[in-house]
Amino acid sequence: MDLSINFKNVTYIYQPATPFAHRALSDVSFSIPEHSYTAVIGHTGSGKSTLIQHLNGLLRPTSGELTVNDQLITTTTTNKELVKLRRQVGVVFQFPEAQLFEETVLKDIAFAPKNFGATPAEAEKIARKTAELVQLPASVLEQSPFELSGGQMRRVAIAGILAMQPQILVLDEPTAGLDPRGHQEIMELFAQLKQQQDLTVILVTHQMDDVALYADQVIVLEEGKIMAQQTPRKLFSRPEWLHKHHLDLPHAAKLAFAIQQQSNFKFKELPLTEDQLADQLAKWLPKEGSSN
Amino acid sequence: MNKVLLGRYLPGSSFIHRLDPRSKLILSFYFIIIIFLANNWLTYLFMFAVVAGCILLAKIKLSFFWKGVQPLIWLILFTVVLQILFSRGGTVYWQWGPFSLTQTGIISGIYVFFRFVLIIFMSTLLTLTTPPLEIAGALESLLKPLKKIHFPVYEVSLMLSIALRFVPTLLDEATKIMNAQRSRGVNFDTGSLRQRLHAVVPLLIPLFVSAFNRAEDLATAMEARGYHGGEGRTKYRVNQWRLRDTLSMFAFLLVTVIMFLLRTW
Repeated sequence: MDLSINFKNVTYIYQPATPFAHRALSDVSFSIPEHSYTAVIGHTGSGKSTLIQHLNGLLRPTSGELTVNDQLITTTTTNKELVKLRRQVGVVFQFPEAQLFEETVLKDIAFAPKNFGATPAEAEKIARKTAELVQLPASVLEQSPFELSGGQMRRVAIAGILAMQPQILVLDEPTAGLDPRGHQEIMELFAQLKQQQDLTVILVTHQMDDVALYADQVIVLEEGKIMAQQTPRKLFSRPEWLHKHHLDLPHAAKLAFAIQQQSNFKFKELPLTEDQLADQLAKWLPKEGSSN
Repeated sequence: MNKVLLGRYLPGSSFIHRLDPRSKLILSFYFIIIIFLANNWLTYLFMFAVVAGCILLAKIKLSFFWKGVQPLIWLILFTVVLQILFSRGGTVYWQWGPFSLTQTGIISGIYVFFRFVLIIFMSTLLTLTTPPLEIAGALESLLKPLKKIHFPVYEVSLMLSIALRFVPTLLDEATKIMNAQRSRGVNFDTGSLRQRLHAVVPLLIPLFVSAFNRAEDLATAMEARGYHGGEGRTKYRVNQWRLRDTLSMFAFLLVTVIMFLLRTW
């Protein structure tokens, strides 16, 4: 099976033919290879959320078409045809804890597998395994999800999606509002899962550090159009272009540019992560130290 | 979820848009009352002409008004059928037990239909040209005299404003939750009635939870900004009665006079 994602001239208009008509995507074409980690960046209202809602057929293009996992989605695709796809594409929405509703954490995580045809026993087994995966303590499994802390609720909600055992994982700012440690833990978890299960991951984010750390390619959206699709390294090596489009650099790259401007040090290669920055600086610092 | 027209405001700067919300509220109610003066074809025709004039003044496409009628069409038809079957008088075309089809019945059925359409057109015009919060504000200002009999005017209008303000927010929230549950395999659109009712639980529970959370947040935010009830509170939007409002009042008085004349034509 071909697990790649292909958008062909997709346009999406909210409330067409009314004065409230709003073109959220216009003539968007791109492809995402299977088993890749793609970051989608852009400002609020650039069409990111609309784009990801196409990936499991929650929205169907106003015109154009896309294929996801060999499933063709056009304007006329029915919900029935999309059931299979919804199982294969797990979407973690912004603030996913809003989807919690069951009496216990375990039941909530088991909800999706049950909907997709697992027996209650199977679903529970998957749920326990997934809860462990997202590092939920066993003691909370029988509690109501509404009694948990914000960070734990987020983990339960994410587990609720992972329990579907999707092949494509779509993440819409999955760590918004979490503390730095929770953020790192969750992002590491997704990276690890991608490795182990060979997932295709699509991450919508405002955090350039995450783009630099995890993504193989970046898609930049602006006003419903694709401005760029390239590797993070290429994208972040064009600070003027980023500045023009009001996008930020990763912290490490920002610091590197500042150092370059105020000293005679030249980085061989623009560092994107803290580690890369530290490595290159480490080679430089002792030399400076010894000359003084 | 976005198809709901109720409480939808179409921004504009037409004559009707610029009328004081109080006069729009009064005139809409007044219009509904004088519809009941209509008793023959000519009077109904005249009422339609008045509504058409108002719609023209508001510069809004007619299709919006039909959309206002659509959700109520079954209720209207039901009332029309009742009216036709149970009215008596004139030539009898058909009779069966208590049901009958008579000339009077058919005519009054058609009148009822017209009345509904007129009322819906006029109230749609009110909501399309007036932001919901201004309607609530206008209601508060019109109900002020009731304060004398200790009617909680301010509280009622605040409740109304908050309710209206949060309709779109809750609709948004509902769409989001529906999307999330759809992604987890819930099917809202197909299946038996039992299955569909079952599918609503994962939608309603999170919706209530979020509504309660929102209410708490709102209460905290209001208290943090020194809210202490309506006493001595000033308004950002001050309604101003202008010449056009007085003119509209006179126009509707004229309409009433014409109605009385046409009734006895």
